Amino acid sequence: MDSAAVGLEKAIEAIKIGVSDPERDQLHRELDQFLGWLEPALEVDTGDLEGLVFSHEAINVLREDTPRQSDLAELQEAAPNFTGGFYLVPKIME
Amino acid sequence: MELRKTTVHRVAEAVLEGEITAHQLIDKTLKNCSVLNEGLNIFNAVAGVDATEQARAIDEKIKQGGELPLAGIPITVKDDLCYGVLPTSFGSSAFSEFISPVTAAVVESLMEAGAVVIGKTNLDDMGQGSTTLTSPGGATANPWQAERTAGSAGAAAVATGICMLAVESDSGGALRQGASHCGVAGLRPTTGRVSRHGLNAHCSSFARVGITAFSCENISGVLDIISGFDERDAATAVCWKGIPEIIKTPGSEDITIGYPVTAFDFLQPELREVFEQARDDFAGLGYKIKNIDLGLLREGLQAYYIIALAEASSNHARFDGIRFGKTGEADNLENMYFQSRAEILGKEARRRSIFGTFLLSKGNYGRYYRQALKIWELIRQEFAGVLKECDLLMLPTAKNLPRQLKGEVSFLDEWSDDFFCAPVSLSGMPALTIPAGQVNRIPVGMQLVGPPFSEKTLLAVGSTSGPRDTGTL
Repeated sequence: MDSAAVGLEKAIEAIKIGVSDPERDQLHRELDQFLGWLEPALEVDTGDLEGLVFSHEAINVLREDTPRQSDLAELQEAAPNFTGGFYLVPKIME
Repeated sequence: MELRKTTVHRVAEAVLEGEITAHQLIDKTLKNCSVLNEGLNIFNAVAGVDATEQARAIDEKIKQGGELPLAGIPITVKDDLCYGVLPTSFGSSAFSEFISPVTAAVVESLMEAGAVVIGKTNLDDMGQGSTTLTSPGGATANPWQAERTAGSAGAAAVATGICMLAVESDSGGALRQGASHCGVAGLRPTTGRVSRHGLNAHCSSFARVGITAFSCENISGVLDIISGFDERDAATAVCWKGIPEIIKTPGSEDITIGYPVTAFDFLQPELREVFEQARDDFAGLGYKIKNIDLGLLREGLQAYYIIALAEASSNHARFDGIRFGKTGEADNLENMYFQSRAEILGKEARRRSIFGTFLLSKGNYGRYYRQALKIWELIRQEFAGVLKECDLLMLPTAKNLPRQLKGEVSFLDEWSDDFFCAPVSLSGMPALTIPAGQVNRIPVGMQLVGPPFSEKTLLAVGSTSGPRDTGTL
């Protein structure tokens, strides 16, 4: 396996998305195409330019620090399973 | 009252003056809806009883003297924007029954002004795409030519006259390309002008909420209603002390339109002819045309996809079967995550998230992601420089005619459809798509792009360019 193929396998493992064997093969082929497609972007001379991080002007907005009531009942109703005062979620400890 | 032949202002006025009640208008709209939607697959959910109740409430408010500038106006909402009454699927079958506890800020604002939500519209897999071809419920057909995609279902709803306004998201160009393919107008606003609260953004840096309508006049009628500071979206802080509008009035002021000559070389000849004609028409209307150069469109598209995929991989991490989405059946926790995420994310969303993780990984981050951030800055500088030389610029919206519903298209060809839209998204500038003409009875749109907060100028110029020859449905 070349480094891109190894990287793809690591990415699938890291992001925890199940893929079938045919889809995995297809992703390997598509990644090669995608990286080839990106080549012109890599050739752009960006010199010492600082990359952009935000597309908007960051402004600090100040407001009075006053308590506000949340509608807990509405949130509880939206939860898949709210029982006995608890939000029940799938077991995550083994 | 045929909604395509009138204006938002005129319809609201008719409701406020009692020529027609909101209830009658919405009742008729819902009846038309099933007929006009036939074979197009526009809706993921239709409001029905809820829309009728909204309309009755509006009639009641009018009786009590309520001032509702959008009284009774039927609107649709793209299904990646939350509306607390109908299911919000985000473009995933795993959320087909999810009722959000919140309603998107834009939808709230329009409803407070009297608009009535009549349905949630179709979209690509987790909102990622500009064709609806990857929608779990199948693509939305183009009202002009049903064997092609509409690009966006909201645009199809507007074009057919099902609704007067469609609330839609736009990251790489879905709203704009939908408007282009369906022969209507669509506005992607300046970064920070319109709150994104309630939007499931796959790409936070570029996702915006905009409006599609049959005319620029209709968009103008709601722009102020949806604009402004919202403490739930930090990007709108730029509007905290008022919106720094740039308003130029066609006819009373000289307006220069930039024409990026080499950009049009990427188009097929029949499409190029449409834009050359549009340029000449603008010149005939008294606008000054100035040839300019935008040399980084292709690289801007590529940078967009690097950043968008990287952000999707992060934004979709919450869809794990624990925090959001149905929990997959598995024998242990690790497998449960793999199973849940495979079920929640469709094939396109899986591809984007996996590639995005790859691009952010050690060894690739500097080569791809950091380089993309620098190109983002170059694009911003390039657009800002051009818009110092002219008041606005015109660009094609879509690189191709809308895709065929049947037939193979590679993922890179589909991503390349965003060629003219994605770089504009990187620029942060507002963009208005308006009809430019037709090729083989299929509408073709163009973008007018201006400096930040120049939407009113764009809409005013867009209004003078029409009605162009887009024929009738």
